[in-house]
Amino acid sequence: MAKNAQTKNESLYLKKVNKRKLGGSLEFTTSRLAFQVTGVLALLLVLWQVLLPLVKGEEISTVIGIITAIYGLEFLVQFIIVKKIEKEITGTAGEISNITRKMGILLLPSVVTGNFLVFIAGAMLLKKEKNLEYQLAVYSLLVNIFVILISLFNLFKDTIVYTFWTGIGFYALYAVLNLVVIAAVSKYTFGKKPDKKFLPFAVICLLGIALGNVFSFMLGLIALGKYFNKNEEVSVEWIDVIKRLFRNYTAVIGMFFVVLFISISIGSNLTFDYDIAISNNFAARLAKPSLMYPFGCDDYGRCVFTRIIFGASISLIIGIISTIVPIIIGGLLGAMAGFYGGRKDNVIMRVLDVLHAVPSILLAIAIIAAFGVSTINLILALSVSMIPSYARTVRAQVMGISNQEFVEAAKACGAKNGTIIFKHIIPNSLAPVIVQATMGIGSAVLSTSSLSYLGIGVEAHVPEWGNVLKAGSTFLETNPYIAIFPGIAIIIIVLAFNFFGDGLRDALDPKLK
Amino acid sequence: MRKKKIIAVLLVLTMVLSLAACNKRTAGGTGSSGESGGNKETIRLLGYSYYESTMNILRDQLSKAGFEVEINMQPDYASMVTARDTGEWDLAMSGWTTVTGNPDYAVRDVYASYGQYNPGGINDPKIDELIDKASAETPAEYGATYKELEDYAITENVYSIPLYANRGIRAINNTVVDESTVHNPQSRSAFWEQYSYVDPSQNDTRTLMLTQTMGDLTSLDPIQANDGSINQLSANLNVRIVNMTDDDQIVPDGSLSRNISIGEGNNVFYFILRDDVFFSKVENKHVVATDVRVGAEDVEFSLKRAADEKSVANHKTYNLHNHMSDVSIVTDIEELKGINDSDTGKPVFDTLSKELPSEIKTLTANKNEVDNANGVYQVVKISTENAFPQVLYYLAHQSAGILNKEAVTEMNSKFDVASYDPTKDICYGDPAAIKSGNNHLWMSGPYALVSYDDYQVTFEKNPGYMAGTENEARIKNIAIKFIKDTTSATSDFRAGGVDILDSVDTNDVATLQEDSNYTVYVYIRHATTYCDINMTNGNKFENLDLRKAVFYAINQDEFVAYNNDLVGPLYSSASTLIDTGNVHEFSLEKSAEHLAAYQKSK
Repeated sequence: MAKNAQTKNESLYLKKVNKRKLGGSLEFTTSRLAFQVTGVLALLLVLWQVLLPLVKGEEISTVIGIITAIYGLEFLVQFIIVKKIEKEITGTAGEISNITRKMGILLLPSVVTGNFLVFIAGAMLLKKEKNLEYQLAVYSLLVNIFVILISLFNLFKDTIVYTFWTGIGFYALYAVLNLVVIAAVSKYTFGKKPDKKFLPFAVICLLGIALGNVFSFMLGLIALGKYFNKNEEVSVEWIDVIKRLFRNYTAVIGMFFVVLFISISIGSNLTFDYDIAISNNFAARLAKPSLMYPFGCDDYGRCVFTRIIFGASISLIIGIISTIVPIIIGGLLGAMAGFYGGRKDNVIMRVLDVLHAVPSILLAIAIIAAFGVSTINLILALSVSMIPSYARTVRAQVMGISNQEFVEAAKACGAKNGTIIFKHIIPNSLAPVIVQATMGIGSAVLSTSSLSYLGIGVEAHVPEWGNVLKAGSTFLETNPYIAIFPGIAIIIIVLAFNFFGDGLRDALDPKLK
Repeated sequence: MRKKKIIAVLLVLTMVLSLAACNKRTAGGTGSSGESGGNKETIRLLGYSYYESTMNILRDQLSKAGFEVEINMQPDYASMVTARDTGEWDLAMSGWTTVTGNPDYAVRDVYASYGQYNPGGINDPKIDELIDKASAETPAEYGATYKELEDYAITENVYSIPLYANRGIRAINNTVVDESTVHNPQSRSAFWEQYSYVDPSQNDTRTLMLTQTMGDLTSLDPIQANDGSINQLSANLNVRIVNMTDDDQIVPDGSLSRNISIGEGNNVFYFILRDDVFFSKVENKHVVATDVRVGAEDVEFSLKRAADEKSVANHKTYNLHNHMSDVSIVTDIEELKGINDSDTGKPVFDTLSKELPSEIKTLTANKNEVDNANGVYQVVKISTENAFPQVLYYLAHQSAGILNKEAVTEMNSKFDVASYDPTKDICYGDPAAIKSGNNHLWMSGPYALVSYDDYQVTFEKNPGYMAGTENEARIKNIAIKFIKDTTSATSDFRAGGVDILDSVDTNDVATLQEDSNYTVYVYIRHATTYCDINMTNGNKFENLDLRKAVFYAINQDEFVAYNNDLVGPLYSSASTLIDTGNVHEFSLEKSAEHLAAYQKSK
């Protein structure tokens, strides 16, 4: 009996050890998520596109059939690899064998089918030593490939915009450069300091921002930051933050979507035809999803896919501006209230409390009703209602910080209040604001869409996501896809910002240093 | 620490910068939008949310023709009217429904220089002249005149931009309402007395649920309102002296008259009245029979006040009734024998005597003495200043509903009409008073309004309305729910909350038709949608070439396609009534030509 209990305890202990080992392996975590999600997707595809038509007695489209088969295959390969990794890590060797690592190559082509999780798993598996730079380079490549893939859907259309190939060319060229960067990263960046030879690549990486590729931009910054860091023994703090951020896989995926949306909204200007998004074409009225119109057409015959792509930039611009404006105004007010305290604090905060007491969406509606429907008014309306919450956050931070020794020291040195606020207090109280802002963008996008859905956001023909969704709401019963796809887009962007914000909060948390 | 923050700020900043950069399109589209010399003409398009889809299609078509379109979409009709009054617009969305079914009504208020619904400032003596000429003509003659009017106003001068002709679309729940009792009149409002349930035993117990979008009733005095909020209500609350069939023929059936006769010269009209219509009133939110007959005195009173501009403070239908010069009660049988009917050429007396319960023995001016079974009748005579055969259409309109002389006088004598103050004076038909429980209405129609609140109006059958005849109302209780938008109304209809849906959105028709429980009727209705053009105060649209450029840029086929073929082509507001043969032409070439001509002349 006693022996039995002991073995039971031992196996429990072993299980815990194995779990910890597996959890610490980036290869395992990425692969596991990849096979799980691929499995669910494959299952959904089988149910929805194969079984449902079979039951209804309809024909299964060959394209869908092939995609389903490919996903099934990806799932199988990934599943086998996960099992192998699990066995090897928990086994005697304690690490992944080279053969298994080579199998990662099998996973890379899956990116063509849009399965980025399997691609990431493959890329992470292939290389044994992975530093932050390598991960960034992989994600940057992934974003590039995705933008190209999404843009290539335009080839199925009757006409393509005349800058199409220029756009594709830019991204393809950058993708090739990116591959070179990955090679360079492996060669030059694994020391404490990147090799001097990496500097040109870092510049190339910085240029990626022109295409909206924030990952590659970060890579460039990190390389330069590390290179110019004077004291090699002390790590650069902001690089540590990004490092911690990249330990959180969900946050990285959130960030990936954010970057992808930014990148595609820049790329779409070259590769997508705005005319298709706003001009009516009654020949294609309520067309079903097809290769030509991947998400179908709305009641004016406008391609929903193209509208969602252009909607990304509109939603993001409105979301980001209407977050930055209240940060600046609310931040200043909060900082003043927190720093001076007393009557000034009371006056500022009570006025803001009044503003806070008005439901934000109601306030937005009132502002738009008063000033009329336009994008500027919409941004104004959303911004005003966000001011109090940022002011509160900053005030709380400032109150904490202004009692600390370094502020007293600054005062003792005779620094002016303005200098103290802007040089000492605000920079030290930004962390929670940044986190709040990241999440705030998500909710601002949501509010924009809600207001457009109610018909008081941006003008009806502008492809803002709420507008696209509204056009679909009438046909929810007969043509549900018109509403489903913009709905999914909104969900993805809000989730992405939330995941990213959550990760950022953890990464910025001083306790986790 | 500090650097960490800076990089985070930088990150956010780069996002913004990159997005700001992408806001500008570096490259044009496929080039389908015609660019005429880079300097585009701007058109300010005004409308309200109801016209959202129409405005979108219009915007698209005009921008394809090389115009820059600025949309000004107001939330509702009232806000649009306010915006229209400021004059800051070029094209304004407009709709006209010819509820009387005659072409005079279709054109007079829209195109005449004094028209009530002519916000664009059409001011052309030739149009006024043609409208007056056509009004004096018979149907056989006026076709040519209206065509001349259409050619002049639309083809030559483009005083308004025709878009499409609406259809009537009505859906009923055929498991509840008997399909054979449903009528779809082209012009007149839906009438309820014919409706019956599939199971007739429910007629006495179940409430028939209808719906309408406008929940703020303007007025229940028929002459003080003429809009969608009360048209259907008023038509069923008050009887009139003539009636219109589903296809707009003037008949006495179902009206207060037994027979109608038009005297020679087309300027005197005779009506012989029934004796089986009595007023109803409401006590404790239930209908009460008054046993007061609806007689010639009430007709005389009601029509005289309709023709008098100063009879009430807000006379909304004076343009319909100002043609009547006199209304009187005929007591002398010889007068009827001395004048011939304009159709048959025989005496009016003969026409009026057709199929009466008994021969006319005496005529009386006292409605209490009337007894049709024993030959005692009442005859009303209406005279018009000029020959105006179309006056009968106006008498069939809800605004010619017959009211009780005493009930109206009692309410309206409490204040001076000239100094009427809506905040304290209560006039007859004031909906606010009725809402608060002061239901002072005396109703001559098949139904009585028994209560009214923010959510619905409730009606009960008038027990004294043509009892025992086929025009007696069958369903005892009816209610109209106020549902603001058509989509919600459709949802409620499908959930069983509404039995008859009087106007169905064109996008919902297919869904309803799929369900065998619903019958959807698509029928001709004299409703049109067009654009007014602002030609006032030196606006640039005073230029004919510019108007023509817009005219030719319109592609009516797209409106038809968007509305699933449930709307039709249009040329003028009279198009649905008179086939002039004019068809709108869509031609981007002609549009470009006229636009170029305009820009050259600038």
